Amino acid sequence: MRTDEGRIGPARRIALALIALGVALGMVACGGDSGIEGSEAESDVETAEAQGEASGDLFVSNWPFYIDRKTVPAFEKKTGISVKYVEDVNDNTAFFGKVQPLLERGEAGGRDIMVVTDWMAKKMYDLGYLQNFDKEAVGPALDNLIPALQSPSFDPERNYSLPWQSGMTGLVVNTAMAPDVTSINDLFDPKYKGKVEMLTEMRDTVPLVMKASGVNPEDATEEDWMAAIDKIEQAAASGQIRRFTGNDYTRDLANGDAVAVIGWSGDAVQLQADNPDIEFVMPDEGCMLWSDNMVIPVGAPNPAAAYEWMNYAYEPANQAQITNYNYYVSPVSGVKEILEKQGSDAAKSDLVFPPEEYTADCSTVDTPPGGPEAEQRVERAFQSVITG
Amino acid sequence: MSRAWRAVRERALNVYAALAIAYLLLPIAVIAVFSFNDPEGKFNFTWQGFTLEHWTNAFSLPPLNDAFFLSLELAAASTLVATILGTLIAMALVRYQFFGRRPANFLIVVPMATPEVVIGAALLSMFLIYGLELGFATLFIAHVMFSISFVVVVVRSRLIGFDRALEEAARDLGATPLTTFRTVTLPLLTPAVLGASLLAFALSIDDFVISNFNAGESVTFPLFIYGAAQRGIPVEAYSIATILFLVTVVAMAFTVWQQRRAQQMASIRPEQEDEPYAGTPAMPPAPGAAGG
Amino acid sequence: MTSPKGRDRSAPRGALRRRAIPYFLLGPGLIWLLLFFVVPLYFMGRLSLESGSLETGGFEFTWEWSNYGHALGDYQDRFVRSFFFAGSATVIALLIAYPLAYAIAFRGGRWKNALLFAVVAPFFTTYLIRTLAWQTILSDDSPVVSTMQTLGLLGDGGRLLATDGAVIAGLTYNFLPFMVLPIYASLERIDVRLIEAARDLYSSARTAFWRVTLPLSAPGVVAGTLLTFIPASGDYINAEFLGGTNQAMIGNVIQSLYLNLRDFPSAAALSFTLMAVILIAVFIYIRFAGSEALMGEEAEKAK
Repeated sequence: MRTDEGRIGPARRIALALIALGVALGMVACGGDSGIEGSEAESDVETAEAQGEASGDLFVSNWPFYIDRKTVPAFEKKTGISVKYVEDVNDNTAFFGKVQPLLERGEAGGRDIMVVTDWMAKKMYDLGYLQNFDKEAVGPALDNLIPALQSPSFDPERNYSLPWQSGMTGLVVNTAMAPDVTSINDLFDPKYKGKVEMLTEMRDTVPLVMKASGVNPEDATEEDWMAAIDKIEQAAASGQIRRFTGNDYTRDLANGDAVAVIGWSGDAVQLQADNPDIEFVMPDEGCMLWSDNMVIPVGAPNPAAAYEWMNYAYEPANQAQITNYNYYVSPVSGVKEILEKQGSDAAKSDLVFPPEEYTADCSTVDTPPGGPEAEQRVERAFQSVITG
Repeated sequence: MSRAWRAVRERALNVYAALAIAYLLLPIAVIAVFSFNDPEGKFNFTWQGFTLEHWTNAFSLPPLNDAFFLSLELAAASTLVATILGTLIAMALVRYQFFGRRPANFLIVVPMATPEVVIGAALLSMFLIYGLELGFATLFIAHVMFSISFVVVVVRSRLIGFDRALEEAARDLGATPLTTFRTVTLPLLTPAVLGASLLAFALSIDDFVISNFNAGESVTFPLFIYGAAQRGIPVEAYSIATILFLVTVVAMAFTVWQQRRAQQMASIRPEQEDEPYAGTPAMPPAPGAAGG
Repeated sequence: MTSPKGRDRSAPRGALRRRAIPYFLLGPGLIWLLLFFVVPLYFMGRLSLESGSLETGGFEFTWEWSNYGHALGDYQDRFVRSFFFAGSATVIALLIAYPLAYAIAFRGGRWKNALLFAVVAPFFTTYLIRTLAWQTILSDDSPVVSTMQTLGLLGDGGRLLATDGAVIAGLTYNFLPFMVLPIYASLERIDVRLIEAARDLYSSARTAFWRVTLPLSAPGVVAGTLLTFIPASGDYINAEFLGGTNQAMIGNVIQSLYLNLRDFPSAAALSFTLMAVILIAVFIYIRFAGSEALMGEEAEKAK
C-alpha cells in the first residue's frame, strides 16, 4: 500500500525550488568575495635559520626520477634524519597551483625543500613564498657549486636557490628516422608532419621557436612571444605538431610515434640505453639552459635538516651517484673526476659536462616581459594553444 | 531455413561476445606482459627482454609503495564509510515513505550526473575558501562523497527484490527486531553490500580526476602513475597493477561465494525454486540498475 | 508502504518514532552529500562570478557574468568536440555492450559470473595504466597499425594514436563496464517465460526481441548510456594520453584553467556551464526515455 504523505504537489514543488534558489542567490550576494587571497610582493623575506643540530624529519618535494635509489637511505643512515621524499612536482605551474594556497598562508604543507625551475623560484621569491638561506649553514654546499652557476641573473648571490640539477632544452631526435633535423625550424618541415612534438613548458618551447625566427629571447617583447605562439598554433592546427607533452615525449620517441621533438638533455641519454638512434641534438640556434633549484619555502619546519640535505647532495661523491643516475648537468665541482675514476660513461658526455663552446649560443630560461598581467596574457594564449 | 539461420546467428552472438571480452582484457594482457619487461634505461616503453626481477622486487620502490598503500588505506576507509552511509540511505528509500523523498532521490542522482572534473574543481573551491589543508582528509571526504550514490543505487536495486516475507516469518516465530536483522536481513543483504563496497573500492582506487584536484601533497597510486607517466613508469608499477588485478579476481570469487550462500537461504521458500533467476547479479556493479 | 501499519496504530509515540526512522537512516549520508557536494557547488557558483587574479591581489566578488560569456565564446568548439566524442563513445559502447550483456544473461549458463568478472576486473587495474596500455597498443610502430596498413585499412603514413578515433576508442573502453552492467542487470531480471510466450505469439525470435526483450531492458540501456555519456563528456585523460593537438576536450581546458593558469573564476564558470549543459541534456533524454533508470521510481510503482 502506498500513502500520499511523501508527495508534494507540482505547485508547491516549484515554490520550494524558487525559495531555495532565492536563498542561494541571497547567500551569493551577501557572501562577499571568496577569500582566495592573491599576493602582492612582500619585501621582508625571512632567513631560514639553521638552529641546533640537524635531526628529526625532512620533507623533500622533487620531480620524478631525479634521484637514484640509494641516496636517500644512505643520507638517513649517515645523519639519523628521517626523510620523506615525495615526487610530486611534474610541472612548475601545476605544482605552483597546488602549493600556492598553502604558501599564501605561510605554510608549505610540511615541506622543507621544494625543487623548482629558475623562473618559478624567482616568482615564488617575489611573492614572498621562500626564505633566504642561512649562508653559514649552507656554506659547504655553496663552496662546491660550479662557477658557471654561481650567479644567475635571477638570484646573483644564491640567496635562496641552489641547483639540484641543470640541463639543456633542445632537440631530441631519432637520427635513423630524421637524420637531417638540426634546427628548430626543421620541426616545421612538412616532411615530418605528425611526427613532431613540443613541450607544454611554455618557457622552453616558445623561446626556442623565437630563437629559430632570429629573436633573442633575452630581449623579446610581448609581441615576439605572441608571434611565436601564433606560429606554434598554426603548426598545431595543421597537424604538423602531433601533440604537446611533458616528459612523456620520451615514450613517443621510444614507440616511434615521434621522430623529432623539443626535449631535455637527460632524457635523451636515458632513451639511448634502449634505442641508440635517439640523440640529443644541439639546435643550430642554440639551446635553453635551466636549473631546477632546491628552495626553502616559508613555514618549512626543519631548515637545519634541509641544509644538511643540501650539503650532503653537494659532496662530490654523493653527487656523482645522483648524476650517474639521471644524466643531467651536475652543478657540483669535482664530480667529473670521480665519475672518470669509476669508469662511468657519464664522465665523457657533453650533456653531463658540457664544454663552454657547446653551449655558446644558448639562452637562459626566462619569463615573458611586462609584469604579471602581460605574463598572464602570454600564458593564457599558450595554454589555449596546447588545449586546442 | 530458419533453423540454420538461427544456428549461425547464435554462434555469431557468442563469437561477438567473446571478441568483446577479449577487447576488454587486451590492455590487461599488455600490462601483465610489460611487468616482465627488462628495460635497460628507466623507461618501460618497448619490449627489451624477459625478467622476473620486477615481480620479486615489486615493492622495492619507496615512492611507489607509499602511493600504493596510501591508495589502499584511502579506498578501505572511504569504502567503509560510504558503504554504511549508502546502505542506510538505500534502506530508507526502499522501506519507508516519507516527506522529502523526491529531493532526497534527486540529491543522490545528481552527483552521478556531474562530470568528475566539475566535482573535483568544486570541492577544491570549497577547500580553498575554508583554508582546509589538502591531503588525506580532503581525499577521504571526496571519495566518500562520490561513492555514496553508487552504493545507494546498488544496494537499493537489491533491496527492491528482497522478500519481506522472510523477515515477517522470523518475527512471527518470535525473533526480536534485532535478531531478525542479524539472522535474516543482514545475510540476505550481504551480497548487495559486498557488491556495493567492491564498487566503491574500485571507484576510489581508480580515481584520478577528483584526487588530482584535492590531494595536496598526498600521492595516490593513480597520481603516482600520472606523474611517472611523464618520466617513464617503473616496471614495478605494472607488476603492482597486475597484482591488483589478481587480488580483485580473488575478492570477486569471494563475493560470488557469499552470493551463493544468500541464494541458498533465499531458496528456502519452495515456490521460488522454479524462478528462472535468483536475485540480482553477484557483481558489484549494476550501477545504473537502480530501477528494478 | 508495506509496513504492518495496523500494529502500531495504538501507540502514537511508536508511530512518531517510526516516522522519524527514515530521517535517521538518510541523515548522515545526505548531510555528507549536502556538505561536500551541494555546498562546494555553491562556492563554485560564487567563484564563477568573481574577477581578479592571484598575482594581483586575489579575487573579488563582482557579479562577473562575462566569465560565462567568455566560457561559451572561447571554448565553444571544445564543447562541441567533447559532446561529439562522448556521444560517439556512448553509441559504440552500446553496440558492443548490448550483445555482450545479452550473451552473458541468456547464454552465460554457469559461466555467467566468470564472464561478469571479465567485464568488471579490468576496471580495477587503474584507469591510467589501462589508458597507457592502449597508448602502447595503438602506437605507430605497433603490430596493430602495421597489420592495418598491410590490409589497406590505414594509409601508409596513417596512424591511430593522436586522432579523434583513438580518443573515442579510449573513452569507449574505459566506460564500457558502466554500459554492460546496467544492461545486464535489466536483461537478467526479465522473466524468460515472457520471452517464450512472445515467441509463441509472434512466432519469430526477431519480433519477440524487438517487442519484448528490448523494451524490457530499456531502463538498463538508459542507465548505461547516461553512465557512459556523462563521465565521458567531462573526461580529459583519454584526450591527454591518446589524443593529439586537435583532440583536447573541455575537461582539458577546465583542468588547465584551474591548475595551470589558476584562473579560478573562468574555470568555475566553464565547469558550471558544462554541468548545466549535461543536466539539461540528461533531463531531455529522460523525458523521452523514461526516468526509472536513474530515479528509481519504477520501484515505487512496483509496490
